[in-house]
Amino acid sequence: MPETTQIHDKAPAALAATFSNGYEFAQGAGYALPEYPFIEPPELRTGEVKRHAVAIVGGGITGLTLACALAQYGVRAVLLDEDNTVGVKGASSRGICYAQKSLEIFKRLGIYERIAARGVQWSVGRTFAGQDEVYAFDLRQQQSHSLSRQPPFINIQQFYVEGFLVEQLYSPAPEDRLVDIRWSHRVTGFEQNADFVTLQLETPAGAYALEAEHVIDCSGSRSPFRAWCGATVTAQQGDDRWCIADVRFKNPPPAERHTWIEAPFNEGRAVWQHLMADGVWRIDYQMPPQARPEEVSREDVVRARLKAQFKSQSGRLLDDSDYEIVWVGPYAYRSECLDSLRHGRVFFAGDAAHVMSPFGARGGNSGVQDADNLAWKLAAVLQGRAAPALLDSYHHERHEAATHNVRVTNRTARFLRPADGAERLFRSAALGLAREHVFARQLVNTGRMSTPSHYTQSSACGPAGGRATQNVGFAWADGRPGELLDLLGWAHGRLLLLSFGDVSAAALARLAALSLEAGLRCVQVICPGEKAAAVEHVVDVQGHLQATCHVFGHAWALLRPDGHVAATGESVDASLVHAVAAALGAGPGGKENP
Amino acid sequence: MKTDNPLSTRLHFQDADAFYECLLDAHQGLSREESELLNARLILLMANQLGDTAVLRACVAAAAKTAATPG
Repeated sequence: MPETTQIHDKAPAALAATFSNGYEFAQGAGYALPEYPFIEPPELRTGEVKRHAVAIVGGGITGLTLACALAQYGVRAVLLDEDNTVGVKGASSRGICYAQKSLEIFKRLGIYERIAARGVQWSVGRTFAGQDEVYAFDLRQQQSHSLSRQPPFINIQQFYVEGFLVEQLYSPAPEDRLVDIRWSHRVTGFEQNADFVTLQLETPAGAYALEAEHVIDCSGSRSPFRAWCGATVTAQQGDDRWCIADVRFKNPPPAERHTWIEAPFNEGRAVWQHLMADGVWRIDYQMPPQARPEEVSREDVVRARLKAQFKSQSGRLLDDSDYEIVWVGPYAYRSECLDSLRHGRVFFAGDAAHVMSPFGARGGNSGVQDADNLAWKLAAVLQGRAAPALLDSYHHERHEAATHNVRVTNRTARFLRPADGAERLFRSAALGLAREHVFARQLVNTGRMSTPSHYTQSSACGPAGGRATQNVGFAWADGRPGELLDLLGWAHGRLLLLSFGDVSAAALARLAALSLEAGLRCVQVICPGEKAAAVEHVVDVQGHLQATCHVFGHAWALLRPDGHVAATGESVDASLVHAVAAALGAGPGGKENP
Repeated sequence: MKTDNPLSTRLHFQDADAFYECLLDAHQGLSREESELLNARLILLMANQLGDTAVLRACVAAAAKTAATPG
């Protein structure tokens, strides 16, 4: 039963006319993805080599998030994509789980409502070993997720998110669009000097070149820029093999994440059962290490696995008419992390910078955070508010995040594919204990779900800084409800200073001067019933602003446009001035890139 | 005496002989595989009693050092 799922719920007329805009859903053949037109660039006729401030290579989730964020900060960019669609043709695989931090970023970029409307929310996860449930969790009960206006996770096929981002970029009138998306553009050559990069491009209508002062490589794990830049990679390759079956059931299972460590219906190997939009379920089977991809992904083999699984779950045989196979894909994972995310004028982001196993949804979600981290820094430097050295903090912060994610996902991989001998022995011991003792459930590692990065090594963050805030609620001065993203939006790419509690007249004067000098936005945060000294003030009705900034009582918190805390302090003095300078790349730790 | 090594080697057993006997009794009649699993469970239970990351690391390191030079 082919069904058309329109992603253009509110498509501008101009768009609807130019794009084939449905994600058509055909049995066994995945989705038909929207196609975007190749527009012949004028350089092909004129031969002119244009210089751009920013060129983004790759229109996946990282590149498109970066493009949208830059556009929101008012920065022009050109985006080069070798394909003419989102997603990978014929494949519905890739990311399905979007974490709270990503959802907050998408809220700021204006596509969150569409993701929430199309996607599926979940918070309950259950882990099984053999026939038994070992433990269950509900993310909503966990403090780290409890303050934000966004849910812990939304599951949705990655191409929807990418499609929404493309439409967001196309939503202004053509003359007002800041990002020039060039579809069907393959980068075939590269060189750079101290001032700019030259890219050689191949298009359906011929080849040309362009120059860019900053190139952000978001072209994925097979990026040619790694070799062009001589980037070194720390990598680890395992022998774990998996095979995905994306299926749609007539009678769907519960909207929960189920994981089996030793599934009786999969020869004692692991199985994942996860949901996404359009009532599609991702069932991911661990395969023997020597499994042949063409065999494990054959339709009759996939159907036999599904029958075995759902027979054991519902106690009755699954009929072929009870479900349809949307997509099947065998895969192996590896972990890779570039040793430097910046090479001269080239910045690496997303899978181009780091690759990891899918456990915990740390791939796509870290690409989104890479993009968000770099976007405000590029904007601040290009618009003259920050020192160029700020761009080096992109490497320091996101490399720390990437190595953390690689470490966390490698630990999960080791739990799920233990080496014979002691590794398997300890897993059996942990599973046995977990059935009886709560403490031992902590050892059962089926993926540690993606959480916002914490920057502990960055010269742009103070000792108490580096953490991400959540999108908490408060009340505006007139009593209307507001949320932290509104304040960050009001700061519009500038640093946001939240001044908690009383502010003296002298401190107010210093803040006003600092605001002018450093392009800072200041807001006084008062408790209910307190008297405001500053015109710009909000009321921390539930104390969530304080909690998410990790400050208590009379204090200040300096927030960055990406929602991370740059620094906190007590009094409005030199320490704040230094924190502002450091957050803008002019601190004592800031160093120029060679 | 203050030391950088978080591993305590001072005698802490209330009754070392009784523990040793209890440990051997638990293994009595078990196959090699069952014994290994019992030990693994015991290590995880005891590790949770200690909890402290630095102490646990020091214990693992000390045990690994001894294992490398048997006898």
